[in-house]
Amino acid sequence: MIKNWTGFFTLSGREIKRFFSVWKQTVVPGVVTTLLYIFIFGVALENRISTISDIPYKIYILPGLIMMNVITNSVANSASSLLQMKLLQTLPELMITPLSSTEMSLSFIVGGTVRGSVNGILILLICVLSGMPLENPLLTVGLIVMVSWIFSALGLIIGQVADSWDQLAVIQNFIITPLSFLGGIFYSIQMLPDWASKISLLNPIYYSINSLRAATIGVEEFSLIGSIIIIIVCNVFLSSIAIMLMNTGYRIRS
Amino acid sequence: MNNAIEIINLHKKYGQLEAVKNLTLNIKVGEFYGMLGPNGAGKSTTINSITGYVKPTSGQINVLSQDIEKEFRFTRSKIGIAQQEISNDWFFPIEDLLFFQAGFYGINKMSATKNIKNLLAQMGLEQHKRKKMRALSGGMKRRFQIAKALVHDPEILILDEPTAGVDVELRHELWDFLRSLHQSGKTVLLTTHYIDEAELLCSKVGIINDGRLIKEGTVADLKSTINKSSIVIKIREGQAHPFNQILKDYDWTYNKEELIISSESPNSDLPKLINTISTSDVKIDDIQLSKTSLEDVFLKLTGKKIDD
Repeated sequence: MIKNWTGFFTLSGREIKRFFSVWKQTVVPGVVTTLLYIFIFGVALENRISTISDIPYKIYILPGLIMMNVITNSVANSASSLLQMKLLQTLPELMITPLSSTEMSLSFIVGGTVRGSVNGILILLICVLSGMPLENPLLTVGLIVMVSWIFSALGLIIGQVADSWDQLAVIQNFIITPLSFLGGIFYSIQMLPDWASKISLLNPIYYSINSLRAATIGVEEFSLIGSIIIIIVCNVFLSSIAIMLMNTGYRIRS
Repeated sequence: MNNAIEIINLHKKYGQLEAVKNLTLNIKVGEFYGMLGPNGAGKSTTINSITGYVKPTSGQINVLSQDIEKEFRFTRSKIGIAQQEISNDWFFPIEDLLFFQAGFYGINKMSATKNIKNLLAQMGLEQHKRKKMRALSGGMKRRFQIAKALVHDPEILILDEPTAGVDVELRHELWDFLRSLHQSGKTVLLTTHYIDEAELLCSKVGIINDGRLIKEGTVADLKSTINKSSIVIKIREGQAHPFNQILKDYDWTYNKEELIISSESPNSDLPKLINTISTSDVKIDDIQLSKTSLEDVFLKLTGKKIDD
C-alpha cells in the first residue's frame, strides 16, 4: 500500500507544517469562535434552555462545538491545500514524483486529520476548563481523530472536484455547515418532531456529536457502539473514495 | 546505445483536439535532444506524457526500457523536469521546497543536504535560500526550477522552454550549465522555440509540428536537407536596376535596395554575380552570404516561422 515511506512522511509533514505556518488563520479562529459560542449560547441563552437530559445547557452544547471545529478544520485543510496546489501549479509537479495516488491521498488526509485534531483538542481543553466533564479521555481523543480523518478525506474529495474558491465556499457553506448545525450541536434531536428526528439520523455528523457527548458528558441518545461503527464505516468509505478519485486523476491530471 | 526515452505511437486527444498524433521518438542515453516546434505543436503534451502527468489516449512510453505506467516509481525517479510554467508556493522558503522535493523522491533530509547545498550554490541561490518564491526575481525562479529538477540527481533531465522569458545573460549562463550537465553524462531533452538554442546545444533535433514529428536528425543533417544559401547584395540608393536582364539564370528578389539571390553553390556563384552586377554599372554597398539556418529548415518543413 505505502512503499515510498519517505515521500509519504515528507508530504504529510509538509501538509502539517503548511497549516502551522499560518496558525493565525488555521488555529486561532476556531478557539475564538468557540469562546463566542460558549458565551452567547451558554451564558445568554441558558435562562431559556436550562437543561437537556439533566445536563446544564451550556455544558450540553460543548461536545457539539468541539466536533463543529474538528469538522470545519479538517475539511478546510485538505480541500484548500489541494485546490491551492492546483491553482498555484504546484500539483502537477507533485503528481510526477514517485508517490502513488494512495500515498498522496493519505498524506493529504493526515494533514487535515492533524489540523482537525489539534483544533479539537484545543477546544476540548477550553471546554474542560469551562467545567465540561471528561468521562473517557482516551475515547474522546480517539473520536476527535477519527472524525477528523473522515472529514479530511471528504475535504480531499471536495478539493479535487472543485475548480475555484467559489465552488469550495459553496460546498462548505451550503452542505458542510448546515449538516453540522443540523447534526444536533445546539439541541437534542429528541426535541425535534418525529419526522425531523428521523431525517437527522441520516446525517453522519449526528453520530460524531452523539458519540463525543457520550465520551465526555455521558449522554448517549443513540448507541455509542452504533455511532462508532458508523464513524468507522464512513472513514473506510470516504478514504477509499478519496484514494480512487485521486487515482483516476479527475480534474488534476490532463 | 540504449534508449533513455522511447515513445511509441503516442496519441493524445483533448476532446476533439488532437494534440499529439502517433508520435514515435527515441532518445538515446547521453543524448542532448532538442524538440523544436511552435507554440501548440505538442511539445509540452509529449513531455508531460513522459513524466506521467498527461495520460496518453494511446501509445506507449518507456524510460530506460521500463514502462512508465507499470514501473512509474522507477521511471519517475530517473527523470527530473523543469516545467515551462513556474509554480509558486506561498508557504515555504525555497530551501525547504528542495528538501520536500528530495523527500518525495524517497531521499531523506540527511542524504539530500549535500546535493541541495551544491545546487543552491551552483544556481546562485545560496543567499536567497530562506526566501519564498514570491520574493524571487523571474530569473531566480527559473534557476530554482532547474535546481528542483536536479535535487534527486536524475539520469534524464527534461527542460520545457527553460530560457523562455529570461534575459540574454541568464540565458547564456543556463546554456553553459546545461552543457556541463550533459558532459557529466546526463541525457537532456530540451523543448524550445528558440532556434539558436537548439542549434547551439543539441546533438539531435526533432521538429514537431501539429502534433507530429516531421523531421529528425543532427543540426547538420537537417541543414543539408535545404541545399540553398542566400547572397544578399546591398545596392546603392537611387539607381535603376537591370536585374531582369542580367540575372535571368538566378532565383532572386529585390526590395528596398536589397538584392537577395538564392544559390546552391554560393562560393562559386558569388564572384560571377559581383562581376555581372559591376559590369552593368550598378554600385554595390555591401555583400553578405547567408547560410542555411535551422530556421530555414523549419520554414521549409512547416511552411511557417517558429514564432508564428
